Parts: sequence; structure tokens; C-alpha cells
Amino acid sequence: MARKWGIAVDLDRCTGCGACVTACHAENNIPTVGAAEAARGRAMHWIRIERYWEGEFPDVRVKFRPVMCAHCDAAPCEPVCPTYASHHTADGLNAQVYNRCIGTRYCANACPTNVRFFNFFNPAWDKPFHLQFNPDVSVRSVGIMEKCTFCVQRIKAADSAAKADGRELKDGDVQPACAQSCPAKALVFGDLQDPESEVSRLSKSPRGRPLLDLGLLPKVTYLSRQTDV
Amino acid sequence: MKGLYALYSDPSEAQRAVNHLRSNGVAQRDIAIASSEPIEEFEFGQRDKATWLYYIASGGGVLGLCAGTWLALMTQTAWPLPTGGMPVVAWWPNLIIMFELTMLGGILATVFALFITARLPSRGAALYDPEVADGKILVGVKNPKGDAIPALTQALRVDVHTQVKLL
Amino acid sequence: MTAAAPRINQDLLRPLLETSWRFYALVLCLGALVAVGVGAWFYQVYYGFGVTGIRWPIYWAFYITNFVFWIGISHAGTLISAILRLVNAGWRRPVTRCAEAITVFALMIGALFPMIHLGRPWLFFWLIPYPSERQIWPNPRSPLVWDFFAIATYLTGSLLFLLLPMIPDFALVRDKTTGWRKKTYGMLALGWQGTPKQWHRLESAMQIMAIAIIPVAVSVHTIVSFDFSMAPVPGWHSTIFGPYFVAGAIFSGIAALIIAMAALRRFLHLEEYLHPVHFQNLGKLLLLMSLLWAYFVFNDRLMIWYGNEPAEMAVFWVTQRGSFAPLHWAMIVCNFVIPLLFLTHKRVRTITGCVIASVAVCIGMWLERFLIVVPALGHKYLPYSWGSYSPQPVEILVTISTVAAMILLYVLFAKFVPIISIWELKVGEQSRLPTPEAMREHPLWQANP
Repeated sequence: MARKWGIAVDLDRCTGCGACVTACHAENNIPTVGAAEAARGRAMHWIRIERYWEGEFPDVRVKFRPVMCAHCDAAPCEPVCPTYASHHTADGLNAQVYNRCIGTRYCANACPTNVRFFNFFNPAWDKPFHLQFNPDVSVRSVGIMEKCTFCVQRIKAADSAAKADGRELKDGDVQPACAQSCPAKALVFGDLQDPESEVSRLSKSPRGRPLLDLGLLPKVTYLSRQTDV
Repeated sequence: MKGLYALYSDPSEAQRAVNHLRSNGVAQRDIAIASSEPIEEFEFGQRDKATWLYYIASGGGVLGLCAGTWLALMTQTAWPLPTGGMPVVAWWPNLIIMFELTMLGGILATVFALFITARLPSRGAALYDPEVADGKILVGVKNPKGDAIPALTQALRVDVHTQVKLL
Repeated sequence: MTAAAPRINQDLLRPLLETSWRFYALVLCLGALVAVGVGAWFYQVYYGFGVTGIRWPIYWAFYITNFVFWIGISHAGTLISAILRLVNAGWRRPVTRCAEAITVFALMIGALFPMIHLGRPWLFFWLIPYPSERQIWPNPRSPLVWDFFAIATYLTGSLLFLLLPMIPDFALVRDKTTGWRKKTYGMLALGWQGTPKQWHRLESAMQIMAIAIIPVAVSVHTIVSFDFSMAPVPGWHSTIFGPYFVAGAIFSGIAALIIAMAALRRFLHLEEYLHPVHFQNLGKLLLLMSLLWAYFVFNDRLMIWYGNEPAEMAVFWVTQRGSFAPLHWAMIVCNFVIPLLFLTHKRVRTITGCVIASVAVCIGMWLERFLIVVPALGHKYLPYSWGSYSPQPVEILVTISTVAAMILLYVLFAKFVPIISIWELKVGEQSRLPTPEAMREHPLWQANP
């Protein structure tokens, strides 16, 4: 069945707590690069909280914006990959095939929202963190690009479970780590093709708009009060 | 016996020698000429032009075009993976690969035709003298018949100082 | 026939036959630099790509700058050999082989960089369309795959264009030497005798290749520019990049050629063959390309400034007034001001003047490539993700060692092959118009075919 996975991000609910970032790191075996490398710009946060300050003290306002791969239907990162490591699946996901990546980093340059990350070194985990790997997700080695996959391992697992039970997937059966861990319920994940799903409803909200207006057909909609642009 | 030849410093002398050889009934293909640079301004240097090489190059280009088209089509349909909302067989990018292989086909066809028709690398015995490198022109007869040699020697001797050599 | 042939032979074969200690010293120094660069790259592969200065979001920097720079330099040969040959410019004759050698070696070095900059370079062969077990092929929509085809075609074409006219010269060396030289060059000469048939075939082949190599050269640097213009990066996504890069390539190619020619003239004592008029002519061409380059830069910048699109203007201002301003204005001085100063008037367009302008242009064009790649990547659409880049020792060492590699290859080439095409020079020494009686067929031509 053709689906279109998407996310609705409610900026009016996001508190910038960062639980989604932590959950994503844990779920997807993303290495923490250390303070020195992070200072050199090598941190790998598949979902990041962008923080913008507005105004002068004491009228300062802070805005939080979680940014992750939008799995664009006209993704600029896909045609430029020379080895098809980045391509589009039938589910509407932008797949990143780690085995096929030779690390040209063209996809990362082409992405307008900079959501793609490169493994600059072989990742290492100090003990006892080497015990907390998620067995459903591979560990990437040096020279490979990676990014948010909409927790494709959870999508596949939910599909298998539903098939085993002989039923269809319902809205809410699949929760990526970020949506699952958000205390404010700011992240809503689901099938945009399903008109009943919450994400479809939210994406059509008058408060909603894409992050960038470049014709990329992204699947992530950001909701905020219009006065708060 | 491989050949009979003489070396000339002046191309007009070489031309006279060639004319004498022809008057003596030597067939065109038996007349050997060698020089260290192409000599266009005399008739003996005008032999064996190769304008048909352009057709070979064009043919090679057509072959290259077919190869490029086939390669682009075949590789895109072998694993049809959609990228960036573009069609699986995307003609605009394919044109680039087709163009490059067309040009490569033309270039390679030209070089192969050159090697084959100029008989390079030539391993066989050829009528040659290293003095050609110093600007002399060699004119001679390949495999002359024994009884014709005195007449041919006389034909080649356009000047009293000409040395006729026998290989 | 040239009466001067023995003297020309002697002068132009001397570099092959006589070697001084300076040659060995130079080769040793350059070889050491190349070895250091290779070591630096192995260090990078062993310890991980993070030893470079690459970071989020600037994922391309020095290595890609070098790639575009060297492919640009490679356009020297095509212009001189191919274009000047087609328009029958006789003054090109002593210069053609110098130029074609630059093309071939610059292409070889440029083609190394896509391998050097890979995250997993041991898998570079996946860019080559070979039938794999899994039946998966490279993506023909990717500009990097277009790069592979374009550079492969251009390298093959240029190599053949360089090698074909070397055959008669190898025959010359074979005839004038003894011992191992005679045997080696004899093999390389492929049994060339210099019959009219062979000459005609060779000249026709070279004419065809000259016609074919020009569109290939234009397409190569256009395709390299597509590496940038196909991505929706502010400052890259410009339709003018194709012609802009080709003009820049020819510009830097001529500069490299002038430097190479001046060096050869001085160190191989070729004053009788490379005259000031050659440098005057190339200097005029360099000036023309400087003006053409400035025209394209103006087009590109005016469109950005006039459109006032926020993302593009961020890149614009950081390049012209922000952290990249010193490099940007140095580039303008090197590519435009210095060439205008030294190349406009005949009195300053001496060999020295041309060399000064050329060195400035080479530096300026390297800066231009850098300023296209890095500021745009550092300032894309989301300000939170902006970043700055600083090169690390690995990248600097590899860059220096590729310059050393280029010079080394060139020096070795000039040692083993006559750097001036001897037979082409001899052809140019005298007027080559056929006399009327030459064109009249001899009455016995057809009688004894």
C-alpha cells in the first residue's frame, strides 16, 4: 500500500527541552562526538533544536524549532548522489543506504536545511554505553552520510506486527523516537495519505507552512500562530 | 635484396628522381619516399590523401552515440530508483552522457583508423635511412628486379653527387 | 626542406641527451614534496576524514577547489593546439606540445581529487559503470557521474592528441641516438618512416581530433560547473556557471602555459624557438580572457545584487565585506588589476610582464574557486546552521604536493620527450603553399598506379 509518511511540528507547543534529540540518539545509535569535535562543528544531531533569540533585554523572546530531514518528494539530495545511496522509496521516505555511500558529501551540500551528517571518524562509545545499542539499527563507520530516517526500523517493525496479526496499520501505531518522547506532544507522525490521520489534519491547518519555500515538496509541516513568524 | 634508394637534400631533386623512376616503368606502389616532415608543395608529397578519415570519425561518433544511449537507458532501468522527483529515465542528464560517449567514439575511431591504415606499429622491413632525420628525402624502389638495377640507379642519379645505395 | 634541420634537431634534442646535476636535485625535491603529500593522504585515510577542516555545513573545501582549479588549468592545451591549429595560426607551432602536456598532466592530477576527497576512497570504483554482481550502476543523474564520463573522454582525447604527433619525433630520436635510447624510442616510434601516406593520415587524424577536442573541453568544465549549479545552494544555483567556468578555465590555462613556457625557455635555453612574440600573443589572449572573466563575474554578481534575495545576499555580503573580503579583493586584484597593468601596453607586455601577470592569475583563479565553494556552503538558508571553515595541515600539504606533482611530471616529460614538436616546427619554417607544377598531376601517375 502506498503511504506518505510525514510529521507535523507544532512550534507553539515546543519547549526546546531536547528530549527528542536524546531519544533519537539512543534509538539510532548516533555517536556523541565529544566536546572538542562538537566545537569543530562535527556534532551529529539527526533532529536538532534550533534556537533563535529575538529582541533586546528585557524584552527577549526565544524561539525553538526542531529540524529534521523532511523526506522531500522532490529532494535535491537524491539525484546528486552518484551511487544511489540516497533515493526515494515507495513509502515516500528518502532512503539513505549506508552500504552504498562512498562519502562524496554532495547530498549534504545540496540539502538546503543541512540535515545530513557525515561520520568524520569511526564512532566509539565509552563503557558502559556500548551496551545500549539498538539492535534494529546498524552502526555506521567512518566516511558515511547519515540522517533522520523517520525511524524506518519502527515502521518496518509495525508493518510486520500488523501483518502477523492480519490487520492494517492504524494511525498512531508507528511512533518515531522523537514523537514518542516529546512531553508536549509537539511532534505528530503519521501517514499523510490517510485523510483520517492526525498528521493529515494538522498539515492542512491554517497555522501550517513548510520550513522553506523552495518547491521541494517536504513532508514536515510547521505550525505556529501567524503573528509569530 | 630489399631496395635501391638515394637521399636528396632538395625536394625538387627528389621530385625529378620520382619522375625518372616513373619514366622507367616503376609502379607507383613500389616507389618508396620518406621524409622527416610532410612536404606538401611538391607533387610526390600529394599522394595518398586521407579525406575518408572524416567519415570514419563520424561513423565512430554514431557508434559512440548508440553506446551512450544504451548505457544510460540500461543502467537507469536495471534498478529503477526514483530520485528527486525526476523520472526514472531522465533524458536531460542522459544527453550529457550520450554526448561524451559520441565524442569518445569519434576520437577512438580516428586513432584506430590512423594506426591501421598507416600500418603502425610496422614491424616489417621498410625502406628507410636514419639520415632522413637530418632533413634528407629518401626516394627509392622496393624490391627491384636484378636486371633493372643499373637503369634504376641511373634514374635515381639526378646529380653527379647523388649517392645511390643498395639494401 | 629545412636546411636548418640538423641544427634544430641538435638544439631540441639536447635536453634529452644532456642532464645536469640541477635536474636530479629538482626531481629529488619535487619527489620529496609529492611523497609528503601522499603520506598526508594516507594519514587522512587511516585516522579518518575528520583530520581535515571539513565540518557541518561546509562539506567541500580545499580538495574540491583544487579539483576545479586543475581541471581548469587543463584547458590550456585545447586552446593552443586545437583552436589555433584550426585557425591556422602558425605561431602556435613551438608551443603546442608544451600546452598539450599541461593539459594531460593537469587532468591526471585533477582527476585524483574526486578520489582524495571521498569519505570511503577505497570504493571510488563505484563511480565507474561496470557490470557488478548486484546489477547496480552509478546514477546517471548525478553531476559526479557526468564528471567521470567527461574527464575520461577528455583525458583519453588529450592523451591521444599529445601522443600522436610525438610519433615522428620519437622516430627522430631513434635515428639520432644509440643504445638503450635507440631501442626504447624505436619501440615508441612504432616503425614510423615518414612516407607521404603516413604524413597525410597523421595530419588528417590530428585535424579531426582538434575539431573533436574543442567541444569536449567546453563540455568538461561546463559539467564541472554543474557540480555546483545543480544544487539549490544560494550563490551556486546560477545558470551562468557553465560559460563562466569555461572562460575561467581558459583564463587560468593560458596563465599556466605562459609560466611553463617562460621556465622552459630559461632553463632549456630555447631562446631561439620561443620568441618574445609568442609571449606577446599569449599575453594578449590572457588580457582578453581577463576581460571576459570580469564580464562573467559582473553578470553573476549583478543578478544576485539586483535580485536581493535574502539567502543569496547573505553569501554576497560575507564574500565581499565579511570574513572572506580580504581573499575576495585579493582575487580581484590578481585576476583583473594586475593583468590590466602588465598586459595592456606592448611595452610592459614583455616576457617578465607576462609571467608576473600569469602567476597573479593562477593565484587569483585558485582563490576564485575557493570563494565559490566555501562561502556559499557556510551560509545556506537556515542561519542556525551557518559555519566557518579553516584548512588543516593535511589539506594544505596535499595541495602543495599536487603542485609539486604537476611540476615533476612536466620536468620528467621535458627530459624524455622533445618539448617542442620538432617536425611541426620544421614545417613552419618555410612557406608551405604547393607550387602550380606540384599540383599538376604527372602524366605517368595514372599509367603506373
